[in-house]
Amino acid sequence: MKHLLYRWFSSFSAFQYRLDRRFTRAGALALGVLGAAAVIGLDTNRTVGYQVLTLVLALLLISAVSSLVFRGRFTARRVLPRFASVGVPLGYRVAIANQTDRRQEGLVLLEELADPRPSFEEFAAAREPGEERRNWFDRQVGYPRWAWLVSQKRGAVVTPRPLPPLAPGGEIEVGVEITPLRRGHVRFIGLTIARPDPLGLVHALKTIRLPQSLLVLPKRYPMPEIRLGGRRKYQPGGVALASSVGDSEEFVALRDYRAGDPMRRIHWKSWARVGRPVVREYQDEFFVRHALVLDTFTERESSLVFEDAVSVAASIAVSVETQESLLDLMFVGPEAYCFTAGRGVGHTDQLLEVLACVGPCRDKPFRALHRAVMERHASLSGCVCVLLAWDEARREFVRHLEALGTPTRVFVVGERGALDALPGDVHPLEVGRIGEGLARL
Amino acid sequence: MTPPPLLLGAALLFWGWQIGFLLIALPLAVLIEAARALTWRLELSGTDFHRVTDLSTLLIVVSGVYLFSTTGTARSAGGPRAMTLLFQWLPLLLFPLIASQVYSTVGRVPLTAFFWGLRRQAARDPAAQPGPVDLGYLYFALCILSASAANRRTLDFYAGLCALAGWALWSCRSRRFSPLWWAPLLAVAAIVGYGGHIVLHRLQQAVEQTAFEYIFSLIHRDADPFRAATALGHLGSLKFSDRTVLRVEPRDGLRVPFLLREASYDVYNSPAWVASDATFTALQPEADGETWKFASRQSPGERVTVSAYLNRGRGVLALPGGAFEIDRLAVVSVRRNRLGAVTVEEGLGLVTYTALFAPDGPLDGPAIDADLRVPPQEAPVISRIASELNLGALSPSEKLKIVEAYFRQNFRYSVWKGERARRQTALEEFFLQSRSGHCEYFATATALLLRAAGVPARYAVGFSVQEWSRLEQRWIVRARHAHSWALAYVDGAWRDVDTTPSIWADAERDEASILEPLRDLWSWGGFLFSRWRWSEGQSGVGEYAAWLLIPLVLLLVWRLYSRRVGRGARGTPESLTLAPRPGHDSEFYLIERRLDAAGRGRRPSEPASTWIERIHATELRPIVALHYRYRFDPAGLDAPERAALRTSAEAWLSGHHVHTAAR
Repeated sequence: MKHLLYRWFSSFSAFQYRLDRRFTRAGALALGVLGAAAVIGLDTNRTVGYQVLTLVLALLLISAVSSLVFRGRFTARRVLPRFASVGVPLGYRVAIANQTDRRQEGLVLLEELADPRPSFEEFAAAREPGEERRNWFDRQVGYPRWAWLVSQKRGAVVTPRPLPPLAPGGEIEVGVEITPLRRGHVRFIGLTIARPDPLGLVHALKTIRLPQSLLVLPKRYPMPEIRLGGRRKYQPGGVALASSVGDSEEFVALRDYRAGDPMRRIHWKSWARVGRPVVREYQDEFFVRHALVLDTFTERESSLVFEDAVSVAASIAVSVETQESLLDLMFVGPEAYCFTAGRGVGHTDQLLEVLACVGPCRDKPFRALHRAVMERHASLSGCVCVLLAWDEARREFVRHLEALGTPTRVFVVGERGALDALPGDVHPLEVGRIGEGLARL
Repeated sequence: MTPPPLLLGAALLFWGWQIGFLLIALPLAVLIEAARALTWRLELSGTDFHRVTDLSTLLIVVSGVYLFSTTGTARSAGGPRAMTLLFQWLPLLLFPLIASQVYSTVGRVPLTAFFWGLRRQAARDPAAQPGPVDLGYLYFALCILSASAANRRTLDFYAGLCALAGWALWSCRSRRFSPLWWAPLLAVAAIVGYGGHIVLHRLQQAVEQTAFEYIFSLIHRDADPFRAATALGHLGSLKFSDRTVLRVEPRDGLRVPFLLREASYDVYNSPAWVASDATFTALQPEADGETWKFASRQSPGERVTVSAYLNRGRGVLALPGGAFEIDRLAVVSVRRNRLGAVTVEEGLGLVTYTALFAPDGPLDGPAIDADLRVPPQEAPVISRIASELNLGALSPSEKLKIVEAYFRQNFRYSVWKGERARRQTALEEFFLQSRSGHCEYFATATALLLRAAGVPARYAVGFSVQEWSRLEQRWIVRARHAHSWALAYVDGAWRDVDTTPSIWADAERDEASILEPLRDLWSWGGFLFSRWRWSEGQSGVGEYAAWLLIPLVLLLVWRLYSRRVGRGARGTPESLTLAPRPGHDSEFYLIERRLDAAGRGRRPSEPASTWIERIHATELRPIVALHYRYRFDPAGLDAPERAALRTSAEAWLSGHHVHTAAR
């Protein structure tokens, strides 16, 4: 039965896609009127609705026939930015060249994104957020789930862009707006130039193949500075990493005092000037290194909790000053990963790129992350954990860190009910209200 | 997409013209189009739109109930069905919605107004609220489709339709093409559409005719006054439904079983009886429109009141033999043929009529040669039986008695028929071999035997009234009470001759389902509902349903009136009826005014705390803290804190009056 539904939804989506492409808004309305007139005019003795039916049908047929001929040849170039962010509309440029000796006007530019229809396995395994609140029929049939999956996999909404007139052999550049709906890659496969027929009901289409992709970074929230604390730790081979600042005899810069800095490094004059302790920095292999630990262990392929946890991690990554310290992003995917940014080693953008593509881990226990962090704990000054639950395995992990004396900040992202029993030093972040939760810190 | 100026008004006028509501459509059109000239708007929130939609829905439901309960009379006069009327009214019933759109500040209607699911979703997650929609073109399409339901089959409708469609398409045509392209294409579409609708209509008529003939040949609920197929020769057992088809009101002197005839036939062509020369002629009603007389007459006869369902307003009436008048029959057309079949058309779903009858009533025409004809294939056995009975020299009355006695003494009733010899006709087998059969055998055999004896006879079909319903306290007639008998022309009048053994009713009753009492209860409920539904003008409540609209409209007016009104609607924004904000009477505002007068005023949108820091009025910090709580804390201030705010503000004002004024 599920196979049958899947095929039906898949065919329906394809049909709907073609319909959306082929018909203008006026054409779509005419189609709706055609359907309504077919119902009303079913009995030609009772109403004259059948006269509406035949007129609209004639209009659509004539439009369809006149859309068969479209003598246009175009080339296109798309200039995409390097990154986009979820939910933030973004403009980019598209250059269209008219390769005919005829002036082209009244055209509309449509973007072609990769086929967003999920596979049967994805459809069968997915659970739409809030699906449990839907009625029995919707849960069993699963069309809302299908629609949500398609929207997620499409990844972005691109507004159709009416084109200004194109001179014979000329080229124009237009701005197109895209609104990413999820993090990860949005894949473009081409561009379509649509030309409405004289009646304005049906489009004639010319598609140009133009594959490209755009990386969408996770959503980020404004958040206050996180005081991570922690002492500076000896970094084996750290000189190579600490390319610019450290504790060598060579003075590099001044910076704010941090717990663990020796008193003799305090720069008294600066303290007197700015009103807070300031220390001198020298090049050396002692420096602060924090870990940002992201919990990826969720049972579902796509869940709001996981997405919000990634957003929290991204927000933390961009808020931590990495000029003076290192930040290790640690999570477990197919294997345990650790990406480092700061002190010239890597840039925060790279962490965001990694976070844009991180996926849930469903084949390993939380213990794998526990082990990965412990292997590095000796070099860590502090640890920020973004967790998806507060179960025994995670409690054990946090207890272990604290027992080792590693200053730790823990954020648990979850539904409201799952956050009730958290201890006071763990920050609860409710799904859908992450911004509020972070602002309360 | 927003419709161009005047298009919606034109569509409304077209709708009003087509359905005969022009006087109503005119002010509606003016109201819609005036929105373009007027600048004031209502500041309607999403909830207000929900209310307007709910009101429109209620209007539709109430109108539906009203129309459903009142259109019976209209239909009997050839008017449209309730559903069609409701559809015609839709532009009027949905007018509040389009009016609220064009006179609202947002100019669109949120999608949540139409779906409960979306409303719930938006309540849970306001960010996921779908965008608003412009109803302009949808309302335009609704006006045209509703106008089509008026079914005015003139060229006006199609011409108006083309004009409005062209107007709408002109505004959204592609500017790439010249109007010289656009206009011919529209003209071609109009011509093709015109030809198409003529073809479509004719096609439906052809399909209808074919399908009607086919279905009618398979099943027919009413008796066919032209042909009666019998089950003569049918093998196996006959099964009949226990569905109640007629109800007969009790009266004194009604002898049961009482026969109600639907049709009679004069030509036997085994296994069917056919009515020859049975053209129907229309009757004219008396002045009251509900009395139909077959002849002006007569001696006062007996009367019987029958209730029967009509299929789509049409049917064949079940009447007693010798009927000469029908009273209280609310139909448009009554027709009869010479064989006593009476058909009605354009009636209500349920008709209750009183038939007056007498033994020599004029329902049936006089006997003709066909009433004496015996088919050649049946003639040998019929002649042989007739001669055995020595019917030749007797009077018609005596022949009748002998034939009745012959069947009563020698035949028995059975609904089962086994195999018969190939060379035998069904009647031969009945007469010579089995001597048992169901009513069609008895009626056919009796009619042919009487004919062979020189008595004109016909074959009649109808129902036998024989079951008293204690539940309904009236006689009920079930489908299994369908019966056939013979008519004999004796002494200048047609008489019912029922030779089927009376045991047949008991045999049929034995076949009744054990669920029959439940079905009877259901059927009675349906009958009572139908009687209420179709009894408008007597005790129906439909005419009062319209009064329900008044409180609904008043409710909407009250709810909308109590909402905020947008710019210009009732004067300046200061005159808006806003609910007082919490903390609006805080004394801090006096301080603010005082400082403003001193030239140290607060900037637009500047938080009070920032402001006092900017002007270095740090002594105001405790007052601002209290003011903030008074203004924004849901719990507010308790009495001592409120007093503290007041006194500290007053103290500051008294202490700074001269100083600030001096600045």
